[in-house]
This record gives sequence, structure tokens and C-alpha cells, in this order.
Amino acid sequence: MKRIGVFICWCGSNIGGVVDVPGVAAEIAGISGVLCSTDYKYMCSEPGQDKIIKAIKDDHLDRIVVASCSPRLHETTFRKVLERAGLNPYMLEMANIREHCSWVHASDKEAATQKAIALIKRAVAKVSQLEPLFASHIPVTKRTLVVGGGIAGMQAALDIADAGQEVLLLEREPTIGGKMAMLDKTFPTLDCSA
Amino acid sequence: MVAAAQHPQIKLLTYCELDEVNGYIGNFTVSIRQKSRYVDHDKCTGCGTCWEKCPSKITSEYDQGLGTRKAIYVNFPQAVPNKPVIDAANCRMLNSGKCGICQKVCPTQAVDFEQEDSIFPESVGAIVVATGFDLLAWDKVYGEYGYGKYPDVITGLQFERMSNASGPTGGKIVRPSDGKEPKNVVFIKCVGSRDESKGKEYCSRTCCMYTAKHAHQVLEKISDSQAFVFYMDVRTPGKAYEEFYQRSVQEGAQYIRGRVSKIYLKGNRLIVKAADTLLGRPVEVEADMVVLATAMIPSEGHAELAQTVGITVDKDGFFQEAHPKLRPVETNTAGVFLAGNCQGPKDIPDTVAQSGSAASKVLALMSQDELSMDPMISNIDEEFCSGCLSCQAVCPYRAIQPETVTYRQGGQTMERTVAAVNSGLCQGCGACTVVCRSGAANLKGFSNEQLLAEVNAICR
Repeated sequence: MKRIGVFICWCGSNIGGVVDVPGVAAEIAGISGVLCSTDYKYMCSEPGQDKIIKAIKDDHLDRIVVASCSPRLHETTFRKVLERAGLNPYMLEMANIREHCSWVHASDKEAATQKAIALIKRAVAKVSQLEPLFASHIPVTKRTLVVGGGIAGMQAALDIADAGQEVLLLEREPTIGGKMAMLDKTFPTLDCSA
Repeated sequence: MVAAAQHPQIKLLTYCELDEVNGYIGNFTVSIRQKSRYVDHDKCTGCGTCWEKCPSKITSEYDQGLGTRKAIYVNFPQAVPNKPVIDAANCRMLNSGKCGICQKVCPTQAVDFEQEDSIFPESVGAIVVATGFDLLAWDKVYGEYGYGKYPDVITGLQFERMSNASGPTGGKIVRPSDGKEPKNVVFIKCVGSRDESKGKEYCSRTCCMYTAKHAHQVLEKISDSQAFVFYMDVRTPGKAYEEFYQRSVQEGAQYIRGRVSKIYLKGNRLIVKAADTLLGRPVEVEADMVVLATAMIPSEGHAELAQTVGITVDKDGFFQEAHPKLRPVETNTAGVFLAGNCQGPKDIPDTVAQSGSAASKVLALMSQDELSMDPMISNIDEEFCSGCLSCQAVCPYRAIQPETVTYRQGGQTMERTVAAVNSGLCQGCGACTVVCRSGAANLKGFSNEQLLAEVNAICR
């Protein structure tokens, strides 16, 4: 039997101002396999994360759905939460009910709420099918190539080299310095550029 | 510049091109091409005899066409390395076999007309792309400013070269047409920036400040001079920037809000016609020189470099950061970072800050002996793989290679080819799973079963 926890975020008023979040949580609680369905103002905050960890431990959850913003923003955050609670971090599925829902359907709250429910149902279906995944490990060559020897490349090269790491600074022109070396005085201090 | 050249941990590779990049985060193999300099830099002492004696005079790209250089040259006296290269396209010896003066006068026999490009591999764990910018070719689009036919209509970068003590005029601001000191200098901002019809939609972010600086320099260096600045807005969002701009105004720079509609020649002066949109009336200024603040665009060859390194570009050709706010120096290719104007127009303080940020990301990577790789990558089930290798053809990361596997059939050991995924290269894009007819390719965390479960749930 899968033991699923669903955590729905308000993102302040970003989601909560459009989607009926407590209503969605109640609806999702009725899905088979969902042992816990709850909401919170900011799920990514420390109290929000602690709420997830506590639920994982109390209800012995083995897979988690977080319905919040885009995974591009917080997938790593919530994977770490699972890890801290002792779960495989890849037993997480996110439902994007902000960018894909509340932000684009702000004028139709009822439809947005229905869409949020559908998106979370999708995530619950996916999370039921997930299996633990394990990262592989690769070595690191401790040497950096900087492409371009203008002010940006020179500064990056110097900062890396000052930390004791080897740098190759590649420049297509015969000299380094780039556009900066062509300049006279530079604002706002009017000191020289070379 | 000298600090970078002298640092024991930095190896300078000047006059080099990046030909090829293979591998993945922590384990890149790059192919670098040392372009032929025709000068052996191990022997050369940089004494300068060769470029003094060279008979070919060529317009200097470095001086933005305002000065000349020789065919064997260093771009400026403080160049690093301070040793010359031969411009093959303009060298008499390399083109006609007649001359060779530089070789004759060189006291260390460093000139070598037989030198060829050399290509060598290097292994690196991270790449920082810092390829900078170029300026919009205003003379191709701004007919109202003369399409470049008036020599005294110049760009901000040309003004910089003139104003620079090592530049073609030794730091004197003069009219390129007759070498005379200009008294009335007009500056036009946003030439190509914030101009969707002729140039770019974006703001180049540095022009307001360098124009304020140029106006200050004109007023400081030339007595009885006047500086007029035509602007759309004055944007000074940096520490001590507004104060700097106000100082130029107090020194006498006359800021006029409005676009310049026409520049034309009257005698040997330039007539600048514009509208003062604050006063609501037309203005006309007689100028000796006009300086255009032209838009910054990605540097030449940016598209090819993006392909070589495997990074994406935005709608304007600047390299795309992984996230505009939270990952501004990372790219979507792990192990490749961005610094400076190649990511978008910015000034020196912002560039230096971004470079430090890119360096800190590199150092975080370098501080690890081993990297853990995202496991959400392709998985090919050998049992089902027919070995057609359609997946290899569509893989944008060159992560799929054929592999021979042995199996037992009818008491015999048989061999067959299957596709195998390199876990270091695979980025988990899923292109292989789409072309796989036997269903052998699956993305971990996005298997066909998992995706169909989602579709069922949403359609129910």
C-alpha cells in the first residue's frame, strides 16, 4: 500500500488569493492512498518544511506531493526535505499550481480551483508509480577554462586562481584586456582601465 | 591584465580559438587552436624593431579605424603579452613572398613565416564563458545620421580610443576629418538601444554613464567647449552614478530630451536637428563632432560558440542564464558558467561582481572530489533494445554509444549491438525515448508507465 502525503502551498496570496486551497486539500484527502492532505501559507519556509518532515515521520509516509510553484524554483528544496526525513529524495512529485494555475487564471477562481485539483490528482497518480533513484558519482578535474580575456574573464580567472586552482585563460585576440583595455577613464571613479 | 598574466596558477592562451568541447561537468575535454602568430614568442623579447621597420600600414581595428598599425604589430603599448603577431592577410611576405624585413631586423630570429596553426587538447572540470560584446553596426541602419559617411560622427568607443593616452591621438580629442579640436560636441544616446524598429528592444545599461563621462571629458579637456546630450531618459541606477551625472550637468553639459531626427553637413560643421520634447519645440545645434552611444550586442561568433560549448542563447543572442534571478551565472549545461556582457549588457562594476560569482560557483565545484549526478537520465533496457541506434542520432548531448553485448542462444555465445547511455553526458532530455520503437529507452522518473498514469488521472 502506497502511503502518500500531499502538501499544498498558498504561496502567500500568489496561490491562496485565487485557488481555494483548504477546499483543494479536503478534496485531495479523499483519494485512495493519500494519508495526509494539508495546506500551509509558505511550504518552502522552515515551519513549512518541518510540517512535511513531521507528517512523514508520524504517518510513515513513503512518497510526497508538493503542490506549489514551479519545480524549477523549489524541487531541490523539497527533495532535501525528503532526504532529511529519511526518504529517497526522488519519491517527490510537484504540482505547479502557481505558474500553471493561479497566475494564469486569476480572473476565474472557481475554474482555477478545479484545475488545481486536477493537477494535484495527476501528481498523486505519478507519485504512486515512482521508484527510488540513486545518484551516480563522477570525478572532478580541478582545472578551469575561461573563454575570453576581457575584464569578465580576467576577473573570474584571478578569483579562481587566487583560491589555488589552475586556470586556462583563452583569448582569441593577440592580447588580453578586451574592450576594457580600449577605454580611457572609467565611471564613476574616473580611474584608468588598463 | 598584468596580474592575470603573472599569476602562477593562470596559463594565458592568447590568439587561440576554442574549436571543440566534449565531455561533461567535471570532465570536459576541449580542443584549442593556437592561431599562427608567425613569431616565436619564446625567442621574441618584444623589442619592437620589427614593427618599426615593417613597411605595411593597415587601419587599426583596435583603434576603431582612427589610427594605423603595421602588419606585424601589438595592439597597444601595454599589451599582454607584449609581443607581436603578424596579420597574415596584410603581410607582404606571406602574400607575395617579397619583403621579410621584420625577419631580417629581428635580433633573436623570432620571426617564422613557416609557422602553422597548432591544435592541442586540454582537460578541464569547468568552463567560464566571458566573451563580451560588440557594438551595433549603426552605419548600416541609421541613414538619418549619415550611414557613416560623415567622418566626424563617431561612436563612444572611438571617443574612448581618442581620449585614451595610448590611443591614436595620444589622448587628444580631435575631429577625425581635419584633426582640429572640436568646440561643440553633440552626444546622442540610445542609438540602437531601446529602438525596436532599427536596433534592439533592450537598454544597453552603460551608455547613460559613459556619455556623462564623455561630456565631462570634453568640458574638462577643451576650453570654451560645449557638450550637448540628446537623451530619451537618464538612467543612473548605481552607487555614486546619479552624483556623477549631476556633476557633468553642473560642469555645463546641456541635456536635451528628444531624439535626433537628422544630421547633415553644412560647410565643415554638422547640423543636428532634433525636437526638445520638454519644451515642445524643434532645436538645431551646429556641431563639430557627434558621438553616438551605440547599442551593445553579443560579440561576433557568439552563435558558433554557443554550439561548440553547448549552451543556449536568448532572443537577442546573449547567452541564457539558468534562472534570471536565482541562477544568474549558471547555464543549463552543468559545469558551464557565464560572466560579463556575454550574458547581457552590463557595466564594469556589475561585470566584476558577476565574475566573482561565477568564480565562486566554479570553486564550489572544484572543492569536491566527486560529483553526484542527477539520476533522472535515460535508461536503455538491453533486453528490448534492437540496436537500431535511432536514439544515437537524435541525442543532442552525444550521450549514446553502441555497445556489444554477449548472450547465450541454443548453447552458443552470440554477440549483438545495443545502445548504451553515458551517465555523465546524459542530461535527461528524453529525446531518445521518443524515437525508440521497441520501448527500450525510458527516462528514469519519467517512464512510459508513469507518464500514462498521469494522463489517465488527468483525463478521468
